[in-house]
Amino acid sequence: MTAAAIDVRGLGKDFGAVRALDRLDLEVRDAEFFGFLGPNGAGKTTTVHLLATLLTPSRGSARVAGHDVVRDGLAVRRSIGLVFQDTTLDRDLTVEENLRFAARLWNLPAHRAAPRIDALLRQFGLDERRRDPVRALSGGMRRAADIARGILHEPRILFLDEPTAGLDPRARRSLWELIRGLRASSGLTVFLTTHYVEEAEPCDRVAVMDRGRLAALGTPAELKRAAGVGSLEEVFLARTGRELAETGAG
Amino acid sequence: MRAVYGIVVREFVRFLRQRGRVLSSVGRPFVWLIFAGAGFAAVFAGRSEIDYHVYMAPGLLGMVVMFGSLLAALSTVIDRDAGVLRMMLVAPIRRGTVALGKTLGASLVGTVQAIVVAAILLPVVGLAPTPAGALLALAAIVLTSLALGALGVVLAAGMRSIENFAGVMNFVVFPMLFLSGALYPVRHLGPVLHVLAHVNPLAYGVDLLKHALLARWSDTGYGGELPISLDCAALVLYALAGLAAAGALLAREGGVARAAFRERR
Repeated sequence: MTAAAIDVRGLGKDFGAVRALDRLDLEVRDAEFFGFLGPNGAGKTTTVHLLATLLTPSRGSARVAGHDVVRDGLAVRRSIGLVFQDTTLDRDLTVEENLRFAARLWNLPAHRAAPRIDALLRQFGLDERRRDPVRALSGGMRRAADIARGILHEPRILFLDEPTAGLDPRARRSLWELIRGLRASSGLTVFLTTHYVEEAEPCDRVAVMDRGRLAALGTPAELKRAAGVGSLEEVFLARTGRELAETGAG
Repeated sequence: MRAVYGIVVREFVRFLRQRGRVLSSVGRPFVWLIFAGAGFAAVFAGRSEIDYHVYMAPGLLGMVVMFGSLLAALSTVIDRDAGVLRMMLVAPIRRGTVALGKTLGASLVGTVQAIVVAAILLPVVGLAPTPAGALLALAAIVLTSLALGALGVVLAAGMRSIENFAGVMNFVVFPMLFLSGALYPVRHLGPVLHVLAHVNPLAYGVDLLKHALLARWSDTGYGGELPISLDCAALVLYALAGLAAAGALLAREGGVARAAFRERR
């Protein structure tokens, strides 16, 4: 068995009196496509922020790419890429300038960054738009540029936090194509949070989250079999007694 | 540090790309020179030692530095709202590095603006500094830019939203300007304001600029008043304390970092 990409033990986070994440135990394997499914407020984004060292845990511990998230935050951030629902790009800079800026933040020397940026722009179909300011790009292209920014430093693990929110169906499809290609070519571990059941279907394993707790964990097929139902939508209903769509998603 | 360099480059490219910002930053001191200059010159009338427009020149340069670096540093708040700050916070760099990059970037913007304005303003008012004076003026501009850039990052790190911007203008920028000696000597002010002037970083910058540019008038009381070494030390202290505070404020979990990652729906 290969080492776990992410190893979470009793991890929890409170914001004042609000228990955003209770006690999470989780292992994500190397090169796994891991889905983190649940409605808004289930603790998905809190978990991602804890694993990315942007928040300090209230209890428990976690290792990401072998590094402790509390003691070794810089090493963790070096090993991961993060793509958020909202863009992190500077709208006033061009696509290329944004990637160069990111390359410097990730301490990539120019002679290594330049060919990597060229390759990513081609791979993501952004080559012709490289000198356009980000504000001139469509939502789908912007998200593609965001993902290019997220994997520029060749991370072991890529976190995608609701990456398709606000995208039209065509842009969503091409985004999944892009991620499939990335996984096939680099053996990247992908940790995807989503509240769309259909996005969790292609995952190797899915964790179903509800109100800060892990409600179910397994391959999509296992989850459906265990709950005796035909879709992940129904798995969520069976595990939590509520419908995914009713809990404030969207 | 490559990350610091990257943040500085981005800051400067953004500045150059905003034509309106470049023009207004260079034009602003001349608006003050003409309109405030006319009014204060009339009040000053009868004193033959120095032409008011000459007296005003170091203060106007200080003002350019202040608006330039402070406003550039306050753009950290805009970075947060636009999401760009998140890119810096998820990068494998310390929060102090982000604070340093923003401070240096803002200082560069302020310094370049002040140099451009000086190249036009000094000939216009008929001030020809000695080489040593010019060098000291440059040092004053750089040090003041650093101190105010760091202060701007501290303010930005403590600000909840860009709506507090008006408050910063009213309660920080304008008092700082009027208590800096840019427009009139602060030694004539009452004791309370006089003390406030001494905690004002811009006052040390303007005093240093007066040493550099108005040395000829120091006997008549219009040159720099504090020792040059004190001015320099105060500015360096402000820059270092500001950097330390900005790094600490950015590292707070509940501060800008948290706000930068708050889910917006």
